[in-house]
Amino acid sequence: MSYTLDRKMPPAPADVSGPKPLDGGWGWMVVFGAHISIGFAYSTPKALSIFFKEIQEDLGASYSEIAWISSIMLAVMYAGGPVSSMLVSRFGSRPVVMMGGLMCGVSMVTASFGSSIVYLYLCIGIIGGWGLCFNLNASLTIISKYFLAKRPLANGLAMAGSPVFLCFLAPVNQFLLGHYGWRGSLLILGGMMLNCCVAGALMRPVAQPCDPRACAPPQEVKQTNNTKSSGSCMKNVKTFVDLSFFKDQGFIIYLVGNVMFIFGAYAPIVFLSAYAISLGVEEYSAAYLLSIMGFVDMFVRPGTGLIANSKWIRPRIQYLFSFAMVFNGTFHLLCPLMTTYTLLVAYAVFFGVGFGMVFALIFECLMDLMGSQRFPSAVGLVTIIECFPMLLGPPAAGFLVDIFGDYKYLFFMCGGVITTGGLFLFVMNVYNYNRLDRASRGDDAEQNQNTTENQEQVSSSEAQMELMDPEAKETNTAQLDPEDRQETG
Amino acid sequence: MQQPHRRRDRLTQRTEERTTMTAAWRQLPVLILLILAPCRTVSSKSVDPTTQPLVSIASQPTDTRSVVLQESVDQTTQTLVSIAPQPTDTRSFVLKGDTTFKNVELLNPVNLSLECVWTGSQNKQPSITGYWRKDGAEVQDSRVTVNLKEQQYNLTKVFSIASEENLGNYTCVFGNEFEMYFILGAPQMGEIRDKPIVSYVGDIVVLICKMDEKKPKPNTWTWYKFNGTDREEISAATDPHRYLTINDGWKTKLKVKNVSEADSGLYHCGAVYNISTSMTHVELKVITIMEPLKPFISILIEVIILVAAILIYERSRSKKKEAEANGPNAEPKNAQPQTEDNGGEKSSSVRQRKA
Repeated sequence: MSYTLDRKMPPAPADVSGPKPLDGGWGWMVVFGAHISIGFAYSTPKALSIFFKEIQEDLGASYSEIAWISSIMLAVMYAGGPVSSMLVSRFGSRPVVMMGGLMCGVSMVTASFGSSIVYLYLCIGIIGGWGLCFNLNASLTIISKYFLAKRPLANGLAMAGSPVFLCFLAPVNQFLLGHYGWRGSLLILGGMMLNCCVAGALMRPVAQPCDPRACAPPQEVKQTNNTKSSGSCMKNVKTFVDLSFFKDQGFIIYLVGNVMFIFGAYAPIVFLSAYAISLGVEEYSAAYLLSIMGFVDMFVRPGTGLIANSKWIRPRIQYLFSFAMVFNGTFHLLCPLMTTYTLLVAYAVFFGVGFGMVFALIFECLMDLMGSQRFPSAVGLVTIIECFPMLLGPPAAGFLVDIFGDYKYLFFMCGGVITTGGLFLFVMNVYNYNRLDRASRGDDAEQNQNTTENQEQVSSSEAQMELMDPEAKETNTAQLDPEDRQETG
Repeated sequence: MQQPHRRRDRLTQRTEERTTMTAAWRQLPVLILLILAPCRTVSSKSVDPTTQPLVSIASQPTDTRSVVLQESVDQTTQTLVSIAPQPTDTRSFVLKGDTTFKNVELLNPVNLSLECVWTGSQNKQPSITGYWRKDGAEVQDSRVTVNLKEQQYNLTKVFSIASEENLGNYTCVFGNEFEMYFILGAPQMGEIRDKPIVSYVGDIVVLICKMDEKKPKPNTWTWYKFNGTDREEISAATDPHRYLTINDGWKTKLKVKNVSEADSGLYHCGAVYNISTSMTHVELKVITIMEPLKPFISILIEVIILVAAILIYERSRSKKKEAEANGPNAEPKNAQPQTEDNGGEKSSSVRQRKA
């Protein structure tokens, strides 16, 4: 596939409405930076649990009080999405990621001097959570700015940071704990998280920063009631809590499917080793299951990115996503049948595959739906909504275990919810794309700029954009039509 | 994430007591003899610090227990022999088969009857010599001739376990062919913390020792710190400003205030029972704040260097590009790579004119 940039005419300098994706070159350094950044974001809340026992003994708190640290961190990381989106659109990714890295470092360093649980909630949970939130959001955004043709691969590689860092941080944390105790370990961990600043430095800005005259992140243009081509930066604030996203059918479908996935995704991870132990597996072997899962995940994510990038799959990436979800859910449903250790290992492997596939595609699909201009605010909205199932999922599953005294109901619930979500996505996407295709064929006469190449590659999303807002030409296809914009804008 | 490192007692108790009435009846005459013997009350809840072995207690055992090793029982089975005030029953455990052992935990002085049952090798001789060894040394007058009865050899002996020195490894040997052994001791603490507790100078540190709650409660706890080869007892009495012990049934805590680097080392805690004290240790490591600070500072420097390097590199490249843009129109060979290399800055986008 060849995306020739800018075939029609050079963009007017004052009106660079969007970046031309580079799809290579420095972009790979950006992917590396995003890899580090996302890696820390996802793996830190989990890796911190290694310190919990010591902190618990030292501060005299109960296990559930300590476990709240991770939960608060995850909650803030997801809930801070919209704010992070706003900052990214205002300042670009680089300052936000560097700020995030700095906040994470500061949070860990200050936490190392803590002497009460509430202090740790504040430092690690809130400040650390904010830092990670900035990291996550900004990294995803900059990938969407740097890549288009190879975006699924870039996403897969960047998201692979999560299992890689988890595999790396877990033994490192153990080592640090043995040598320096939890305080020293938090101090050093804070230092390591400052490397996110390095990752941020790699994220060279692409679009120009917001200046009053041409402060036109095309969210402005997207507002149906806004025909002005530029506006003050304050107006941007409104657009990021923009509820107009909810008018977008594709977005709603994606959101529902995602919520269902997140609800069921984390509980099996939390309870897998407990389940294995209840079957009589030895403690270390049970913990090993999760390492297997993480290890498989590490390779599946870039692999899925590569597959999703292929000519066959790319236009149908939403279907691949729903397939991945169904795959994941099915194995959860089968888990209660796995009663021996070998079968559990097999389950862990397939779990890793399914999990990796879904997570490699989860943001890629959103980028595909929204396009790189709307993505920053969309991702903020998605993460804050996903906060709820993420926090509710594991306790709900634990509640089931407590009532029935049997782990299989947990797996049935999680598998059922995820599979239903996947099937829902699949069916609704088929319906939605058919509807959009019919609509776009009707609009075709007006759109004489659309080449067959466009239709081939990303016809569904483009058609969707056109349907939503004929003013805005989505840069999804890397084909800018500033001419068009000037005509209609 | 799963709870990490829940340390468990590896030797999970799968107690299976098999009483064999035949064995019990055999012990009866011995029992009667012993019960009639004068008894001294078991007492002494505290350890006399001046005696070497940390245990105390009644010199005359007042009851009998019988333990028999049995093949079908697992190697790691622990048998807890606990004492009722007026012991009258006997318990026996039979062990047969391949070399196996059994952990027997005792609380009080007791007369213990140990029985080994072996089904014999390929050629079952009508009688073989059997004897007992304690801790490797043969027990005197223990050599007996064991006859093959009902396809098995049966070797029994009653041992008087009065004090700590009677505890240990008791092996029954059948000829030169077969051995089984009992390990007699006080209840052991299963959770041994392998990693040191790390603390910082000036901090307050709490060292914890726990006995499995399924095992009997220790009478009391003692704490020791080794000074070279000497053992020095620690208690609130010896140094109330620095040490505070909180004994709470199955758990004991030693609180050390204002630790300094000299406080590093091994701390031994002992669960005191009538028969003996079972010891385990906890390691404390005290470090100054400087220790973790060094790697932290080095990482910080690395981060600063990398960030500066990246930004400087970028600055120099953009300056180069500006120079080229201002200079004579770019040579053709520059135009091509730059479409791929540059970060899409404004100036470069202008350059992307494809004629």
